[in-house]
Amino acid sequence: MPQLLEGALVTLEIAVLSMVIGLFIAVLFTLFRLSGIRVLNAFAVSWIEIARNTPALFQIYMAHFGLGSFGIHLSPYAALLAGIAFNNAGYLSENFRGALKAIPDTQTRAGRSLGMTWLQSFRLIVMPQMLRVAFLPMTNQMVWAILMTSLGVTVGMNTDLAGITQALNARSFRTFEFFAIAAVIYYIIAKIVTLGARLIASRMFRY
Amino acid sequence: MRTKLFVLALAATAFLTAPASADKLDDIISSGKLRCAVVLDFPPMGSRDADNNPVGFDVDYCNDLAKALGVEAEIVETPFPERIPALMSGRVDVGVASTSDTLERAKTVGMSIPYFAFEMAVTANDEAGISSFEDMKGKVVGAVAGTFEGIALEAQVNEWGEGEYRPYQTQADVFLALSQGQIDATVSTSTVAQANVKSGKFSGISVAGKAPFDTDYVALFTNREEYGFLNYLNLFVNQQVRTGRYAELYEKYVGGDLPELTVPNVYR
Repeated sequence: MPQLLEGALVTLEIAVLSMVIGLFIAVLFTLFRLSGIRVLNAFAVSWIEIARNTPALFQIYMAHFGLGSFGIHLSPYAALLAGIAFNNAGYLSENFRGALKAIPDTQTRAGRSLGMTWLQSFRLIVMPQMLRVAFLPMTNQMVWAILMTSLGVTVGMNTDLAGITQALNARSFRTFEFFAIAAVIYYIIAKIVTLGARLIASRMFRY
Repeated sequence: MRTKLFVLALAATAFLTAPASADKLDDIISSGKLRCAVVLDFPPMGSRDADNNPVGFDVDYCNDLAKALGVEAEIVETPFPERIPALMSGRVDVGVASTSDTLERAKTVGMSIPYFAFEMAVTANDEAGISSFEDMKGKVVGAVAGTFEGIALEAQVNEWGEGEYRPYQTQADVFLALSQGQIDATVSTSTVAQANVKSGKFSGISVAGKAPFDTDYVALFTNREEYGFLNYLNLFVNQQVRTGRYAELYEKYVGGDLPELTVPNVYR
């Protein structure tokens, strides 16, 4: 049990890190797509297309074995983190795009007419509103990220919750017991994240 | 009186007919056919070639046995769990199927002396500078999750207290990771190691030596009461080694150091 909880911490750590990286890239991509610069837009669009239309398992596999065949060696931890961050970035940018559409163009123009630069109006007017709209879908993605960490076992990850569960199972053959416990732990983490996010949202986005 | 006589007559017939039946060894020789249970999805021990013909170490051993008996060999393909049922139901005469000689199985079938041994071998990436089991200390190693050698290797890494162990889901993933240099070395059965190194699918790897894990001895098996045939099988295994046929087939299908078929300090 203590081993499983340690694994749960690693799982949570990877999920949080992948979310932070994913968010950063997603905001960047939103800017890329707004910028109207062809190359940047194309780069963002192709990333999003791949991230959203291929299985997460495949993305993690590519981060480990795909890059490995070019001589770039990521540890299982890094490969898992990169794979999930890649996936998160794709989905989050789409969330942001949707959220952005909910904010009328006129607001940017209003900001510009008040003498703000384009970046200022994005940062001060559009982004705060965009984050509010995108916040709950973001928690969905966070839950997804937690669950996706279990795919790390395919690239030799053995310190996260799924990896530890599998190792304990191999040693004891008490399959059902261990997997049931792991499932409960996943459920509890996911539930805490969703409830926590609700709480934060109700505090942060009060009118 | 009548019934007594009848019973006596019955007993007499039973007594007269029973000893007439020959044992399995005679049956095989008189039928002119030796039916062997062989697993054909377990290269290099048993598999099918491009023309769908059975090939492999076990297939050749069956052919050799049939030749020694002066009969024709018939390969009966059996998946691993089907080997013993195939014998019990009389579909085959003998199992030449890489069967570990466990005490549990010996309650059901009669095992010959070991005819082959699966030793654990270390396969290393050529750039890792590993030439023995001890060299793996402090390196990144991996194996298939949950297998005997995987569990043993993980325990060894923990005992060393340095280095890292990574479990992978399939044998192919392990060799891919090894060939890419993601891991420095792995432990697998020597047949798997040699087959993968020889296949040429994974470059830059080679077998570095033996791993000191338990050897998996495998035996021929037949019905446990057929002592005449079991005796023949034992002698056959012995002769295969004596004549150098064992070494020849090992070189042909596996290659590398020939595994010892005897255990030190004990008979059989």
